[in-house]
Amino acid sequence: MIKLCYSHLHNFCKIVHNSIIRRRCIKIRFISLLGIVISKLLIFISNKLYKGGTNFPGKVALKFDKNILSKISRNYTPILVTGTNGKTTTTNMIYSILKNSGINVISNSTGANLYTGIISCFLKNYSFFSKAKNSYAVIEVDEANLKFVTERIKPEMICITNLFRDQLDRYGEVNTTLNKIVEGIKNTPETILILNGDEPLLGKMNLPNKILYYGFSSRIDNSNKTNVNLDSKFCKICNEPYIYNFTIYNHLGDYYCPKCGNARPKLDFSVNNILNIDSTGSSVLIDDKKFFINQAGTYNIYNALCAFSVSKLLGVRDKFIYDSLKTLDSKFGRQELIKINDKSVKIILVKNPAGFDEALNSINLDKKSKSLALLLNDNYADGTDVSWIWDVGFENLDNNTIQNIILSGIRLYDLSIRLKVAGFNENRFSLCDDYDSLLDRISKGNDSMIYLLATYTAMTSFRKFLNNKGYISNLW
Amino acid sequence: MELNICHMYPDLLNVYGDVGNILILKYRCESRGIKTNISHVSLNDEFYPDKYDIVFFGGGQDSEQTLVSKDLKSKKKSNLINYIEKNKVFLSICGGYQLLGKYYVTSDGNEIEGLNALDIYTKSSGKRFIGNTVIYNREFNETYVGFENHSGKTYIGSLKPLGKVLAGYGNNGEDGYEGCIYKNTFCSYFHGSLLSKNPELADRLIKLALENKYGKFLLPPLDDTYELKAKKFIINREGVQ
Repeated sequence: MIKLCYSHLHNFCKIVHNSIIRRRCIKIRFISLLGIVISKLLIFISNKLYKGGTNFPGKVALKFDKNILSKISRNYTPILVTGTNGKTTTTNMIYSILKNSGINVISNSTGANLYTGIISCFLKNYSFFSKAKNSYAVIEVDEANLKFVTERIKPEMICITNLFRDQLDRYGEVNTTLNKIVEGIKNTPETILILNGDEPLLGKMNLPNKILYYGFSSRIDNSNKTNVNLDSKFCKICNEPYIYNFTIYNHLGDYYCPKCGNARPKLDFSVNNILNIDSTGSSVLIDDKKFFINQAGTYNIYNALCAFSVSKLLGVRDKFIYDSLKTLDSKFGRQELIKINDKSVKIILVKNPAGFDEALNSINLDKKSKSLALLLNDNYADGTDVSWIWDVGFENLDNNTIQNIILSGIRLYDLSIRLKVAGFNENRFSLCDDYDSLLDRISKGNDSMIYLLATYTAMTSFRKFLNNKGYISNLW
Repeated sequence: MELNICHMYPDLLNVYGDVGNILILKYRCESRGIKTNISHVSLNDEFYPDKYDIVFFGGGQDSEQTLVSKDLKSKKKSNLINYIEKNKVFLSICGGYQLLGKYYVTSDGNEIEGLNALDIYTKSSGKRFIGNTVIYNREFNETYVGFENHSGKTYIGSLKPLGKVLAGYGNNGEDGYEGCIYKNTFCSYFHGSLLSKNPELADRLIKLALENKYGKFLLPPLDDTYELKAKKFIINREGVQ
């Protein structure tokens, strides 16, 4: 390995040296170039050694040149995707649609969405020689990192999916999250904003940017149940509680303020109807055309609608959108289906109450008998406060079709208490305090279908464990 | 046998999973055959002190807390104070805890008037106290764990604390105490939810409420294996002996 790396370094240095001698493409300072070379080498090494590792190379490149991002991204037209839930899936959808339509496109679709992870993504795709023309970069960006990214990149579009309560111990409150995103947008007034119109926090933005909204034009069947546990329900202008003509899920829907008249903006792109929804996906009418979205759950209809909006603006033909949404390859813990011996395991990332509730709703769509595996960690990336599991409506799970509940992760006892209090019989619990026993339990149990819901670091570490055991081939 | 539990402003003060306390009280009552009725009292609703046996008041975001504080003063103040003074059971967390006090000084120096039910006050500090916390109550000989997340520093004067801080910050990061107890009103900064890993405290509240209503009462024990393991995990991780 060391020999291999050395020969690579040697080759790179030779290339750099030759380039300088020939005074070819020296728009980039030598020090930045060195940074790029070393970081690319690190990407190569970490891919070989750890089969992953996505932030570190970007960190190194940044040490060499603070402005590295604008240099390595200059040949791309960026489209940024941010918001609390659905970033990765939406990014994947846009990426697949553009790729299928023949557009040259790159993406950080593994969810490495911090500033340094985004630098790593561009570095990985950076070529010293061929200058990619007319290429797009579809980039998922963490809400708090948007302002750092837009200091260096002027995106053509920024999409914001929604704003749910997310890891409060990190950012404080939902309004704080919104303010961080707005700071990022203020760096780039020319960028078109593609916003979820059903998200009340994204109405009345008071920004110079051109804004296009997407949302649901009419109610769907299960949309009239009221939920007291909403994230944002007060008019952002006058603080009066909103009234909803209908909600789609959580606080997303057709809202208006009875006092000051603030209301959902006019929609530019909309879902007109849901024709069918089950555990294999949803059949929907978007702008009166039929699409099948192979990712189950109402929340994925929003993600698809966002991807549709972006694609239409770029002039992509409906055929490519249709094909991509129908066949989207789900990866990295976003409804990813894997096999463990004869067991089917669907991995779903959960990180906040709204997303968890939607995951449970999509599990309820599966009327067959199944088991759950729930993994809760409390590392920084998961949120160090696990209180939020009490805001998740486990009580709404269809108790009749759930065979067993497998519990694991650093905070498995907190989860066990939560599930017990939600009314599930402890005789059906299996507590696994490490991944060996979890794997053993999954492979030897009598459950043929297991929905595995895990917080971020639980998902990544268990996938890594499964990769080491040979159950997953691609780690990223 | 039944207990009437009142959840104050559940539609507004719902940020940190504090609703778990209600779910846990209900679970622990019903596991023993005690019926529970949960009522919601929110903006513009009347609060009738005789209707309830346990009142729960949680924490929320700043904007919502401002709405609540106005509503408390105009609609519910005397009845709530009356409830507390009659030794009835009250559990108040974080923002709810702060609002029971005399006043709250915001970061820009404004003094927001509280309910003045307890002789305590809170001052905003530049720092946010975030993390797992372990406290010990000597009188009950019980250890409680929870997750605190607040920037207000609360000073409880001569009131009894809920416990002495063994790990974490507590009321103000200075005097080494967390929460406070006045009559049968229990206040704490703990999320988690508070009662999820402190079943002793949950049963204390239930027992006090039952005794207020029915006289002397012995609660049959429940299997608290998960609760105590979850508590032990926090105690060990925080390095408390």
